Amino acid sequence: MAALAATSSSSLLFFSPPSKLPSTSVCPLPRLCLSTSSSSSSSSSSLSITPSFLAYPTSSRRYSASSFTVRASAAETKKVLIVNTNSGAHAVIGFYFAKELMGSGHEVTILTVGEEGSDKMKKPPFNGFSEIVSAGGKTVWGDPADVGKIVAGATFDVVLDNNGKDLDTVRPVADWAKSTGVKQFLYISSAGIYKPTDEPPHVEGDVVKADAGHVGVEKYIAEIFSSWTIFRPQYMIGSGNNKDCEEWFFDRIVRKRPVPIPGSGMQLTNIAHCRDLSSMLTLAVEKPEAASCNIFNCVSDRAVTLDGMARLCAEAAGLPVEIVHYDPKAVGIDAKKAFPFRNMHFYAEPRAAKDILGWNGTTNLPEDLKERFDEYVKIGRDKKPMQFEIDDKILESLKVPVPV
Amino acid sequence: MSKLVVLQPTKQPSLSLLPSSLSDFNGTKLCQIQTWLQYKRKVWQPKGALHVVASSTKKILIMGGTRFIGVFLSRLLVKEGHQVTLFTRGKAPITQQLPGESDSEYSDFKSKILHLKGDRKDFEFVKSSLSAEGFDVVYDINGREADEVEPILDALPNLEQFIYCSSAGVYLKSDLLPHCEIDSVDPKSRHKGKLNTESLLASRGVNWTSLRPVYIYGPLNYNPVEEWFFHRLKAGRPIPIPNSGVQITQLGHVKDLAKAFIQVLGNEKASKQVFNISGEKYVTFDGLARACAKAAGFPEPEIVHYNPKEFDFGKKKAFPFRDQHFFASIEKAKHVLGWKPEFDLVEGLADSYNLDFGRGTFRKEADFSTDDMILGKSLVLQA
Repeated sequence: MAALAATSSSSLLFFSPPSKLPSTSVCPLPRLCLSTSSSSSSSSSSLSITPSFLAYPTSSRRYSASSFTVRASAAETKKVLIVNTNSGAHAVIGFYFAKELMGSGHEVTILTVGEEGSDKMKKPPFNGFSEIVSAGGKTVWGDPADVGKIVAGATFDVVLDNNGKDLDTVRPVADWAKSTGVKQFLYISSAGIYKPTDEPPHVEGDVVKADAGHVGVEKYIAEIFSSWTIFRPQYMIGSGNNKDCEEWFFDRIVRKRPVPIPGSGMQLTNIAHCRDLSSMLTLAVEKPEAASCNIFNCVSDRAVTLDGMARLCAEAAGLPVEIVHYDPKAVGIDAKKAFPFRNMHFYAEPRAAKDILGWNGTTNLPEDLKERFDEYVKIGRDKKPMQFEIDDKILESLKVPVPV
Repeated sequence: MSKLVVLQPTKQPSLSLLPSSLSDFNGTKLCQIQTWLQYKRKVWQPKGALHVVASSTKKILIMGGTRFIGVFLSRLLVKEGHQVTLFTRGKAPITQQLPGESDSEYSDFKSKILHLKGDRKDFEFVKSSLSAEGFDVVYDINGREADEVEPILDALPNLEQFIYCSSAGVYLKSDLLPHCEIDSVDPKSRHKGKLNTESLLASRGVNWTSLRPVYIYGPLNYNPVEEWFFHRLKAGRPIPIPNSGVQITQLGHVKDLAKAFIQVLGNEKASKQVFNISGEKYVTFDGLARACAKAAGFPEPEIVHYNPKEFDFGKKKAFPFRDQHFFASIEKAKHVLGWKPEFDLVEGLADSYNLDFGRGTFRKEADFSTDDMILGKSLVLQA
């Protein structure tokens, strides 16, 4: 792989670490980019360029949030309440955010929806909550509508609602936060609210679907808080994820099954490592003026095609992959049940976070997927017996042979 | 040599269909940088970013400059008060009055632009003529190979800056997008000459800047990009698009590119840097067909998808874009230079249509032979 000579001489501003990536056509160099100090509302006339980069683990080390190099510039300790969903793709966000905040010296309470003893708490990330507690975090359970009672009158500087998808669910939390003088309200919305477009990517400010539940929440918190920040994530990978992402591909690849992908496979999506979401949230807490009254796409700085994701998962596993495309309508199946990603371009970019917070992404799918695969094998999921009913239906309609 | 220059705000040329700000082909929102005094480096902040404009008059050489990018760039440079020479073989007219350009503006430009006639492949001539003249800055707009640049560097040992028009085509194809400046490049690409040139510049110790556009569009485009769609729209024909039509590409307006070339001039932040320059948003193939129709005032087109593998088009290109995702992030240029594109896609296509194709001018005659092969087969399948 030829590295452009120019790149090394521009190392004044861009840091190009020795690459440990294999020489394949799909591997970009690790991106450690220049971060500019955020332009706060009192913009000075000079842009100070300070190289700042996150150390991220190489494939040989296990990832843990507490080994982060933190860019914290705020000296103030914040008391942060995370209202966290008890299931679904976003559950893991609160977990990483809590650990990173505590690593930066802030006080964290996680209020998880439901009951401590419920079955849902046996699943990741909740089954890893001892990490939160041992780091000094508080974990409580209940109905967010009763948040005041559950936190027993405690007050917080910052509240993150990583739970509600509609105003009915978030309003009690928001109202309580407002009434107790919470200074900063953060909300995990979704990039799924953007209206489909001919002109990707989705950028902050683009038209959203007016009837989306999250939109109602976004509008409300923007009305009642003077300092609010909205985060719109897409998909994520990382230890403790509550919903299958890369696992869906690994399940098929290790069992030498074809990977059925709807449509052309050229659809672009955005898959970020949880640490990227967490670092963006933490930056917002530590740069509240910059973050205030802003919407941030909470995604990695690269899109990947669906076919590309299959290929990267296979490379991470060190195994071949056979991709098969199909038309869900022609086969007569619901693509949502058959495949973990949207069957369309679903591609947002984190431009506002870079511009306003000076955030930089560190997601490196080729490397991160190797770690994910190591864990996949470690927990024995590669050996787990599985049924692939929908896959079989698809493959049969396409007359594709499947190993017995 | 520096002299005191106070620039007057440009008069907006009048033009029919569009608001005048969009019809000024010289590049629109430059009024902001037109009243500054020289001898001082003035710090100007467009929208909060630092931007340093070199204020001394420079003796500038443009390799090329008579066809597309250079036509707009040279006008901006002359307007800024620089002494600009175009190095061309003289096959095309050195200057041409452009649609929307007033007579007085054109004659002013024409009276100031200089021409150095020669073949850049004649390296000896390049070296001797450039050395005899001496230039402060070289814009290489039409260079393709590294050996074409060597004599220029040899001739001008005190060159302040070599500004190169490279291409995003140098990036290695990837499943991870967009292409960013630090990404892997492809030493085997069709554009390896551009890569080799960038490497040469880096190795020679000259102060260089390289811009990598994606697909450039705008009035006078000689690559049939928007023109390809306009021909079909005008003829009321369906638009044949290979495969799914969801392939994503990116267009950058020539006037925005010309502005970027201006903004790197004398800019320390651009020293030895590469910048992707293109539009703010990307677009799918299908979306581009729709955008062209919208921009030119045609009804939404019928799009026909086909599998290119089922056809043998011979040497003809059935579609003007690479059949793959191809787009680059412009965030570095935005953050480092404070540059940003003024045209969004539909606006930019409208600018191109109104100043070029819509007036009856185009570079290539319509050729629907590959379309007919595709459509003929589609009709057969439907029958």
